[in-house]
Amino acid sequence: MLDFFARNRVATLFGVTVLAFILIGIAAPGYLSLSTASVIMSNSLVLMTVGLGTMLVILTRNIDVSSGSVLGLSAVVLGLLLNNDVGLVPAIVICLICGALAGLFNGLLVTLFNVPSIIATLGTLGLFRGIMLILTGGKWIEELPQSLKFLAENGSIGISVLTVAVAIALAGVWAITRHTRFGRYFYAVGDNREAARHLGIRVHLVQISAFVAAGILAALAGIIFAAQIGFIPNQAGNGVELKAIAANVLGGVSLLGGSGSVPGVFVGVIFMTSIDSALVFLKIPAFWNDFIAGAVLLLVLLLDGRVRIAVEKAIRAKRYAVHAPAQTSNATPAPHTMRKTPATPQENAQ
Amino acid sequence: MKRIFLRWEMALFAMLVAEFAIFGVLNPRFLNLSNLLYSTSDFAQIGIVALPLTIVIIAGGIDVSFASTIGLCAIVFGIANFFGWPLPVCIVAALGAGALAGLFNASMIHLSRIQPLVVTLGSLYLFSGAATVLSGVVGAGGYEGIGNFPDSFTGFAYLEVASLPAPFVVLLVEAVILFVILHYSRFGRAVFLCGLSEHAARYSGLPIRTVQTITYVMTGIFAGVAGLVLSAYFGSARVDLGTATLLPAITAAVLGGASIYGGQGSIIGTLLATLVIGYLQQGLQMSGVPSQISSALSGALLVVAVALRHGSAVLTSFVAARIMATNRKRAAS
Repeated sequence: MLDFFARNRVATLFGVTVLAFILIGIAAPGYLSLSTASVIMSNSLVLMTVGLGTMLVILTRNIDVSSGSVLGLSAVVLGLLLNNDVGLVPAIVICLICGALAGLFNGLLVTLFNVPSIIATLGTLGLFRGIMLILTGGKWIEELPQSLKFLAENGSIGISVLTVAVAIALAGVWAITRHTRFGRYFYAVGDNREAARHLGIRVHLVQISAFVAAGILAALAGIIFAAQIGFIPNQAGNGVELKAIAANVLGGVSLLGGSGSVPGVFVGVIFMTSIDSALVFLKIPAFWNDFIAGAVLLLVLLLDGRVRIAVEKAIRAKRYAVHAPAQTSNATPAPHTMRKTPATPQENAQ
Repeated sequence: MKRIFLRWEMALFAMLVAEFAIFGVLNPRFLNLSNLLYSTSDFAQIGIVALPLTIVIIAGGIDVSFASTIGLCAIVFGIANFFGWPLPVCIVAALGAGALAGLFNASMIHLSRIQPLVVTLGSLYLFSGAATVLSGVVGAGGYEGIGNFPDSFTGFAYLEVASLPAPFVVLLVEAVILFVILHYSRFGRAVFLCGLSEHAARYSGLPIRTVQTITYVMTGIFAGVAGLVLSAYFGSARVDLGTATLLPAITAAVLGGASIYGGQGSIIGTLLATLVIGYLQQGLQMSGVPSQISSALSGALLVVAVALRHGSAVLTSFVAARIMATNRKRAAS
């Protein structure tokens, strides 16, 4: 039982989420409806996209705290282009390229200059935000064209163009990390960088491409942000990087690199977003938001940590039980049983 | 001599002097002594939290929750004051709240054994949420401040001690205390060893948990001090008093030479880095540069400084490897 929860973080979180939904549904009738689902989905799009990029970076044992500013910067680039009568498609392409360049800059700092990623992206967090403010001159960008806002409009079945785009991004990242050789390199580099290098993996290339992907996804989040809100305030994307990291951790992505999956991030983001909407339905004042989000995050972390410690202890006890003096029988175990026993903990660990 | 001149602190000092020179040329009023002294009130709080944060980082941890702790302590002070408690009791309550916050962080980290960054990220939300809820209790609404402090308290931020502004004096006194603790005490050596190698520290019998817990509690207490200084300076206690110090304080600690991997850093370095960052923003503002550009420049400063530091280290080891390789070749032939 313990083993199951420790190894299936995603399943656990999924169970908790479903349970929470049911409990809230009982407490506040009308919560469990398609319209709520649609609201949660469109609210989670920005966080989902940023979180997906953050996951790729965390997989390679780096961290990206600049995604909030990349979001803002690329949203501003998009807004300025659109308001200067550039077509929607070229504007979106340039916006994504802008995000890729920002990610490339992060990646080069981390690989070429060997700066610890948290420091490098902390610096670019300020840098990109500053560039964004220089571009806008400190003013909000308003009156975005209707063509952009149309992207966020829910169609007759409650699905917007953006939802489809995010779904494609999710599926794409899932397919790449799960089914391509290059995708598996992300895990290898994050799990053991030296070993990956000795295997002949171009570690720097993998790390840079993780940052570039994170940049592109943050730019996509910027497009979503602009389309959903219809204007671009100065603080666009502020704090989303921390939320994205929190959602990743909730979804079982290890900050030590090398483990994590797209479904985990998906469930983590949905969980984080549904807290907000649940509070509205339970008629709890909005100022409880941060408190509850923090408490839930810490609680999950504490439980997860304790479970992991317990499992490690159990595995170690099993492994060393071989060496303990035999309690059941006085006879020393026959050689073939001795050879056999060490295999059991590994079988259990599979 | 070489040992003094080749230290990172000297580079920071040179940066500070260069800043004074450049801004002095751009705007002679910048070098006015009273201006230099009084503009410290705008960034003293960054140093007040960056100094204990340096010790946390040296011990191998990191704390990002101090930004919310500042607001939480300020709100606790405001509420204590709201209920008419005497001023010293209010101050003790605020500092106690900070210490508890630090203790909470440390125990969560030790209980869950998850990276400090993640845990304190969670408590960053938790503490700011707690502060918002608490300020709701006294009816200050979601994000409004709590005011009506006694004059003796608000007067403190504008007090002069030996012709220095009081917040700056707080920073200097704190720096002296922490300097002695970190560099001249048994506890300080334990902090460095913990950060260099936790295993080595454990095998040499150091109480690692206690050492790390003390560093987090210190950060909490000094976040409380920063909260008090800020609420005295602004005349009201708000939840978001500390949000703006999060990145500058980490920047100051890292620019000051603290290694994010632990085991390296100094109090003087962080103090100098605080002055570099603070005067950069002040100077840019006085030269008529809009605040948005100054935020970009301080981000760029962090990136460039750290890239140079790490880049030069990489270069040195590369050169050393080349020399060794040629030596080996020569020996072989």
